[in-house]
Amino acid sequence: MIHFREITKIFRSELLGQPFTALSNVSFEVPEGSMVGFLGANGAGKTTSLKIIMDFIRPTSGNVEFSSALGSNRQEIFRNIGFLPERPYFYQNLTGHEFLSFMGKLTDLDTKTIEDRVRLWAPRFKIDHALPRELKTYSKGMLQRIGFLATILHEPKIIILDEPLSGLDPIGRKELKDVIVEVHKAGKTVFFSSHIVPDIEEICDRVIFLKNGNLAYDGSVSALMKQAKVQDFIMTVVAPGEIPSTIKLKERLDLPESLTRFTVTPENKDVLLNHLVTNKKSIVSLEMMKPSLEEIFYNTRGTHDPQ
Amino acid sequence: MTLNKTLTISYYTFKEIWKSKILLNVFFVGIGLMIVTYVATEFTYGVPERVALDFGLGMLSLSSLAISLFLGVGLLSKEIESRTVYMVIARPVPRYSFILGKLIGLMGIQAVNVIILSLMTMTATKFLGGEINGLILWAIGFIFLESLMLLLVVVLLSLLANNILSVLFSLVLLLLGHVIKDTQEISFVKSNPLVVKILEAYHFVLPAFYKLNLKDFVIYKNELPLSYLAGNFTYAILYSGFLLLVVVFLFQRKNLD
Ligand SMILES: Nc1ncnc2c1ncn2[C@@H]1O[C@H](COP(=O)(O)OP(=O)(O)O)[C@@H](O)[C@H]1O
Ligand SMILES: [Mg+2]
Repeated sequence: MIHFREITKIFRSELLGQPFTALSNVSFEVPEGSMVGFLGANGAGKTTSLKIIMDFIRPTSGNVEFSSALGSNRQEIFRNIGFLPERPYFYQNLTGHEFLSFMGKLTDLDTKTIEDRVRLWAPRFKIDHALPRELKTYSKGMLQRIGFLATILHEPKIIILDEPLSGLDPIGRKELKDVIVEVHKAGKTVFFSSHIVPDIEEICDRVIFLKNGNLAYDGSVSALMKQAKVQDFIMTVVAPGEIPSTIKLKERLDLPESLTRFTVTPENKDVLLNHLVTNKKSIVSLEMMKPSLEEIFYNTRGTHDPQ
Repeated sequence: MTLNKTLTISYYTFKEIWKSKILLNVFFVGIGLMIVTYVATEFTYGVPERVALDFGLGMLSLSSLAISLFLGVGLLSKEIESRTVYMVIARPVPRYSFILGKLIGLMGIQAVNVIILSLMTMTATKFLGGEINGLILWAIGFIFLESLMLLLVVVLLSLLANNILSVLFSLVLLLLGHVIKDTQEISFVKSNPLVVKILEAYHFVLPAFYKLNLKDFVIYKNELPLSYLAGNFTYAILYSGFLLLVVVFLFQRKNLD
């Protein structure tokens, strides 16, 4: 649907300051019907890329191509895109309802359609009760949710979200992820950025990974996780006592209430488990560690050291 | 289609500013105006209705210029800073439509301000035995035009420089645009053809705000030649049109980050 083609973006700061290359020759594609995660640390160039897609800023070189499924001219194409900016901040003095009408009218919806869709979606996002209130009274989570509603109000073919999950509490994240999945299942292409690996791993089928303005990875999520080579296990045990030195531990952390947390590599996991079971120790939990962005960052091959 | 969207943007811009209660200040200015007029009429000999008119038009002019300056400077920059602009132009809305909508919305606020304060001024003048003549209406209309021109100046500058500089430059242009009239009257200037030419050229490049100031005439005269009024009116419209074109051109090309 979107083809990001050999894009370089150099920011020339005013007066002094050196030119800064935010993106260097980045190419990728967002295929129709896919759910693509746009991964990268803070400052990797995600927002810059999305701004270039949305034509808010212009690339130094390269171009963005929209597939004909989106439309043939700018107006048509933008009618089929739903975009939610990073940390959106809305018109403070408009009510939620006014804001949604405003956004709906700008995407050529008539009043009745807007009302119908708001009535359909607002309860789903738990903001129906707040619609008559001014946006300045909304919590961060509510703003994110009403922003998302505005993004899908006109039933775009593709939705592009910049860090939609950041700033939400765990329940809020879960709820929004569920809706994103639902919208995707209804046939929409989804492209969203995040610096949090598990969020992308959980719901995306594909990931594009930016590292210091360079494309570091573009492919399936599971393959990226394998590259990361981090699959340690974390085990929490009640009063395990001494562990024989033959069992290699990566880390042992004694917690309050006589709990102990072990970190072990996959090879040592079963040995430790056996030892604990034969000694009748009570195991509270066992989980596989998700690689953090840093770990992926340092382990993704085909890239150079940061800085 | 596009016109509709422009008006939609104007409508919500108006609503957003309206609900920010900025006009409440205008209302207080109005009340203050009443009080000062009352006090002034108690303490001045002679012509209290002139005091009312003078003071009323002065307040009207100051408040519309202040609205242009301080709401105008943030009209776009605040939208960019707070990323609200992205919500709008990520939709099928051309950029010129966005900026036109914002400007019309703010001028709507400006119109409400002008209407409230001029009604108050005219009521006070009438009440004190003064007369409402056509020239007063021209003066009020010209204040509206002056605020439009200043709004476009400050919006234009805000696309090129930061907010503080934009306000400062606009103020400088506003002052220059007024004092240039007196400069033209200085005999040294009159006797120097080159300086005369330079001052004439000024009008084409920089805004000659003095052309829209009828306050002094209103206080001491009842009418002005129609050609003078029409000429200055045309100047303001053409100059504003020119500024608008530049603003649209700059905004169309601007990197919104
Ligand atoms: N207007 C700008 N001028 C100069 N540098 C910028 C500008 N916008 C972004 N950058 C820089 O570009 C890099 C990428 O920023 P961004 O795209 O916002 O990263 P991300 O969204 O991945 O966190 C950052 O180092 C940022 O400081
Ligand atoms: Mg970002």
